[in-house]
Amino acid sequence: MRSRKPFVWLVRKEWRELLSSRAWWVLLALTGPLVGLSFINAVDAFSEVSAGAGTGCGAVCAPLPGIWAPTFGAYEIAAIFLLPFVAIRLMSGDRQSGALKLELQRPLSPMLRVSAKAIALLGGWMVTGLAAIVAIVLWKGYGGSVYVPEIAVVALGHLLNGALTIGLALAIASMTDHPSTAAIVTLAITIGTWVIDFAAAIHGGVWETLARYTPAAMVALFQHGLVQTNVLLIALVIIGATLALCAAGIQIGTSVRHRAWLTAGAVWVAAVLVMACAFVPGSWDASESRMNSFDEPEQEALEHLQTPIAIDVHLAPGDPRRTQFERGPLAKLRRVVPHLSVRYLTRTSSGLYEQADPGYGEIVYTVAGRHAANRMVTDEGALETIFDLARIAPAAETNDVYDGHPLVGRAAGAPLVFYGVWPVLIGGAGVWFLRRRV
Amino acid sequence: MGTVEPRTASDVVFEVAGFSKRYGHLAALSEVSFSVRAGEILGLIGPNGAGKTTLFECVAGLLPATRGTVRRNGVALSADERAALLFYLPDAIAPWPMESVCWALDFTIGFFGGRADLRAEVVASLALEPLLDRTMGTLSKGERKRALIAIGLLSPVPVLLADEPFDGLDLRQSRDVAATLRAHAARGRTLVLSIHQISDAARICDRFVLLSAGRVCGEGTLDELADDAISHGHAPLDRGLEEVFLALT
Repeated sequence: MRSRKPFVWLVRKEWRELLSSRAWWVLLALTGPLVGLSFINAVDAFSEVSAGAGTGCGAVCAPLPGIWAPTFGAYEIAAIFLLPFVAIRLMSGDRQSGALKLELQRPLSPMLRVSAKAIALLGGWMVTGLAAIVAIVLWKGYGGSVYVPEIAVVALGHLLNGALTIGLALAIASMTDHPSTAAIVTLAITIGTWVIDFAAAIHGGVWETLARYTPAAMVALFQHGLVQTNVLLIALVIIGATLALCAAGIQIGTSVRHRAWLTAGAVWVAAVLVMACAFVPGSWDASESRMNSFDEPEQEALEHLQTPIAIDVHLAPGDPRRTQFERGPLAKLRRVVPHLSVRYLTRTSSGLYEQADPGYGEIVYTVAGRHAANRMVTDEGALETIFDLARIAPAAETNDVYDGHPLVGRAAGAPLVFYGVWPVLIGGAGVWFLRRRV
Repeated sequence: MGTVEPRTASDVVFEVAGFSKRYGHLAALSEVSFSVRAGEILGLIGPNGAGKTTLFECVAGLLPATRGTVRRNGVALSADERAALLFYLPDAIAPWPMESVCWALDFTIGFFGGRADLRAEVVASLALEPLLDRTMGTLSKGERKRALIAIGLLSPVPVLLADEPFDGLDLRQSRDVAATLRAHAARGRTLVLSIHQISDAARICDRFVLLSAGRVCGEGTLDELADDAISHGHAPLDRGLEEVFLALT
């Protein structure tokens, strides 16, 4: 008993406390129906698309955007509306019961103390992943295709999102006296990130840049099967920073000024690291359909393009064509072209009153001093122009074309599993466990 | 009250030196200084609101003091050195409410590196055997107090600061707990007890620090305090602790 390290004792204690909290059992119980609802709707929609498109439907019938992105999307809701309260309860519980005053008397790095809580909470978050595993098993049972790398990337995205939420909630709970205050502040920050997304859609510019690094944007990338090194690193830095803030917050024996300095220091270091990480190149498209990449010959040609590419986009932030262009060819170009500069030229945020302006809607490409403009926001429109200007011709397309995995059918048994068996099993286990403890 | 052997300066385990704590304009503690000697039971006596809990929390490093240090041999102790020297048992806490008393004792031994060799003895002396399987959250005030005292006694450090150790205990339990504490002090454990019930303090403590409105009004044995009161022209009606306390505060 004595040989076990204090940190191990602390992790075990935090895990036991997590299992003893009704909040966690509620999170677990609700995750099943949430995932189930998303999964059942996704299967129905996928079936309709498959029936309409038939065999060889390509990316339209890819399970990643059709099934796994919406199914795992349930975890985004749980991470926003349920998980923070579980984390806040674990942190505030120690403060309110007085356990923190006892535990702080054991010399131990504040970061280790906080890490013990984060590890337990992350473990608890991973347990909720059982609902997604059930969905995968059901999908496989229906005869659906399962491509492990893309599902793993989606799961990684939600794991990181959970860790971000946990870190943020712990940090705020450590700095506030009451759990309800912590809950309000945590939700306010989440809403703040939505405001950034909203401002990005309206105003573009710096808001657009910021919006690329909100949790929602991060999750969206992973849900497309894309792992971007810079986003991954930034997420890890922010998770580390939130834990450092929490470590500063629990040092109740130090003055408020000292804690404020520690907090400011952690924020400063994190800001520097985030800015540095933003420029780290590299990405991995784990999607089976290569939905984040151009076709291989075109991709290869672009990677070897030595001349810079400049693109002037005459589209307002609120114009849906701009979103389509940004999320389509431009996102793919950013991944592969080493020297790419993009400028948005617009007078207004909606574009409604710019339609008559000469050149509005045009996308002007400059490659090797040559210019060309078009109004196409598709992959083909962008690539054709760039290759023409660069005077290169990519190799012919290979026959290795993604055919998709169409599946026509209903989500048989899923309602019973997610709406019946899951809540009964989890609810029963929770009641049994909590009664056994009391 | 026990008898106290004459002590020398080398017996001093630590000194509380010049502790002040302000909350805005309110001075909760003002230049509080006293010394704690090895193996003694020192009573920190004062009415509600005197600053006893604030002082303990500042000394234990759980509340930032505006000014003041804990010293040993004249040298200020760092936070880690303080933690290796003393353990503070707060009043009115209910830690780990969903865990059993048995687990709480094991956790104290495992996490804090506590005294596993004392476990059985502490459980027996505080009559905790019937409570071991109960969760901390379901204990009555008195039961919880005994469990907390057990946690304090199992802690590995030489000095235990206990805030209101008799609060919530009935007469019989108070006597049993006092006997247990005295037994541990007799084996070299130093105890600093914050007590607002003067009768409880008189029964167990070797020396006293009288605290009133955040200031130390006296420090010493009962006889020393009585002499102190007389020398200041406040002769107590008798040499009991209550009268001495009233004369000095």
